[in-house]
Amino acid sequence: MITKSNLYRKEKIYGYLFILPPILGLLIFTLFPFVYSLYGSFTDWDGLGQMNFIGLDNFKDLFTDELFYKSMYNTLFLMLGIPIGLLLALLLALGLNRKIPGTTTFRVIYYIPVISSLAAVSIMWNWAYNGDYGLVNQFLELFGIKGPNWLMDKDTVKPALILMTVWKGLGYTMLLYLAALQSVSRSYYEAAELDGASGFQMFRNITWPMVKPVTFFLVVTNIIGGSQIFTEMNIMTPTGGPEYSSASIVFYIWDKAFKNLQMGYASAMAMILGIFIFIVTLIQFKMNEKSSFDGD
Amino acid sequence: MIKKKGFAMTMVVLLLMVAALAGCSGGSSSSDGSKELTFMFRGGTDEQKAYKEVIKKFEEEHPGVKVKMVVTAADQYATKLRAAITGNNLPDIFYFAPGDLKAYVNSGVLKDLTPYIEKNKDIKLDNIWKYGVDLYRYDGKMAGQGNIYGMPKDLGPFALGYNKTMFEKAGVPLPDKDKPYTWDEFIKVSQELTKDTNGDGKPDQYGTGFNVQWALQAFVWSNGADWLDESKTKVTIDDPKFAEALQYFADMQNKYKITPGIEQSQTLDTYQRWMKGEMAFFPVGPWDMSTFEKLPFEYDLLPFPAGSTGKSATWIGSLGIGVSSKTKYPDEAVELVNYLTTSKEGMKQLVDAKVQIPNLLDMADEWSKDTKTKPNNKQEFIDIVNDYGRSLPGNYTYNAEWYDIFFTDIQPVLDGKITAADYVKQEQPKMQKLLDKAVEQEKKSQK
Repeated sequence: MITKSNLYRKEKIYGYLFILPPILGLLIFTLFPFVYSLYGSFTDWDGLGQMNFIGLDNFKDLFTDELFYKSMYNTLFLMLGIPIGLLLALLLALGLNRKIPGTTTFRVIYYIPVISSLAAVSIMWNWAYNGDYGLVNQFLELFGIKGPNWLMDKDTVKPALILMTVWKGLGYTMLLYLAALQSVSRSYYEAAELDGASGFQMFRNITWPMVKPVTFFLVVTNIIGGSQIFTEMNIMTPTGGPEYSSASIVFYIWDKAFKNLQMGYASAMAMILGIFIFIVTLIQFKMNEKSSFDGD
Repeated sequence: MIKKKGFAMTMVVLLLMVAALAGCSGGSSSSDGSKELTFMFRGGTDEQKAYKEVIKKFEEEHPGVKVKMVVTAADQYATKLRAAITGNNLPDIFYFAPGDLKAYVNSGVLKDLTPYIEKNKDIKLDNIWKYGVDLYRYDGKMAGQGNIYGMPKDLGPFALGYNKTMFEKAGVPLPDKDKPYTWDEFIKVSQELTKDTNGDGKPDQYGTGFNVQWALQAFVWSNGADWLDESKTKVTIDDPKFAEALQYFADMQNKYKITPGIEQSQTLDTYQRWMKGEMAFFPVGPWDMSTFEKLPFEYDLLPFPAGSTGKSATWIGSLGIGVSSKTKYPDEAVELVNYLTTSKEGMKQLVDAKVQIPNLLDMADEWSKDTKTKPNNKQEFIDIVNDYGRSLPGNYTYNAEWYDIFFTDIQPVLDGKITAADYVKQEQPKMQKLLDKAVEQEKKSQK
């Protein structure tokens, strides 16, 4: 006989079972490494042998570490690509949102880089940026401009990386904007048209506020992603670029942890990076709260 | 009551799953009861193919032993290995760089192979390069002496190659294989061979194109300078002899124009230029032999040009094959290491695949006399190992951070924006600071 409590019990077990995999994943792959790394950041662990507790020494060393500042600066500099990417993506989405023939083809073209492997894309751009026979310089030559050796010059390596990351992320950003644009009701525009609003006024007062949640989401995720940029430089400038000018903070962490046997020190940097991302995200959420009240 | 039971059951399932997950990583005996060894290594496609063949033969000769091969890309190897160590998930047998020997021994990662090697009558240590075996000896204080913690996979003498066909076409006398060029001669010959062959105003055939990270040593050492002093605790790049060598290296591009300029100097480029036959001199490692065999021109080896000491210099690379201290089957694991590094059968297959020089002295002697295959002057490889090859400076220290930064910062010198003399002055204290840290780290790890 099935009693009520029996049924409950069964359901409960199924319930737990269903949430088990993600929770296990979280515990094993996120929480445990996090706690381990937090502890590691207070030790002189070399990644192999014993962990000796050394208190805040790693953090003290960090503040006089030239390369730490340099790689932090590089990471922030590369984030210049975020506003550029958002702007371009929004413009593209506006264009592709119109009912003109061929938009599907363009959407596919812009989305291809997103689904391509980052490693493959990096290798491809590596060729494109080659100073001698690279596609970029060959293109510039058409206009009589002699292009630099992009990845070998400390002044051009960062813009080169920005261009590539913008290109790579454009399709994803554009697609989200496109979805947002399509969810904006036509009736707003019709009403505005009746009131004699110009195209720009419509964009400013209808489109922009309506896609704002998407902009917010993209800014937050892009900053978090941008802080952790690694694969691109690891493939395109495997030694950190000329004078370490393209090394991101994650690149430096990896360099310390896996190449130079300073896992403890690397953990300390990872902690700082984690705190940085947390604070920046917090500020964004606060700002978003405030401005949406203003908007109402 | 019921509530509690449900929770308990969930916990049991959870624990079982964790156990199952943990089980995945440790499993080293295969389902049919044979002993399974995991072998982690790296190498180009030709090398992988050769190793696959050798392992197949090993399995045939050792019934009951299965070898699972894990191959990774060269630049990912070190990271993967460190991750495996940290995760307590080390393969039974693996490659490791000689520079990591001390750290791995001090932290108990590597198994001491000495008793197994002494026990095995098939291994004659005096028939293997002493230099190669010594690279993997460590007594807890000094590397190069004491117990053996790995066997050399091979030795990689970094020789200089030249495009014979290009010399003949240009009517330039071939280099002497026994007498190195002086630095001046090297510039002169290279200038003769740097040419604009299609008349577009840009040279498309160059004397050479060296990658600073792998070729500067030859010039520094042959000029009597070095990165480190005898005690391996002091950075000595501020020696004027060092600056002179570095300046010479940079001048090849900026002053003498015998190498592709700033805008063309990527490594990929020079390697491809050499392969296309557009470069007169280019370094050749034994691992290149299988690839270079198909070159559309004749090539051969000569000693690197000699600086003020009058003697040629270059480095010998090596990778060791070690055994995990936690392996379940130490006898079989060491047997495989021996098969790959010291057995006649294994060695012959690898040498025939043209991915390395022989480890065995008698085999190397015979191999170097074979002048029917490319490169003709294989003796140069052997000479480097026997006479004048050295270990890379980063191998002597607990980590190579101090050494790497030298190359990270070097671009302005190569581009002619600052002089070598200024560079070594500015860079020495930076490197010394990092070296001091490495020395300190090493002391800590010995405790």
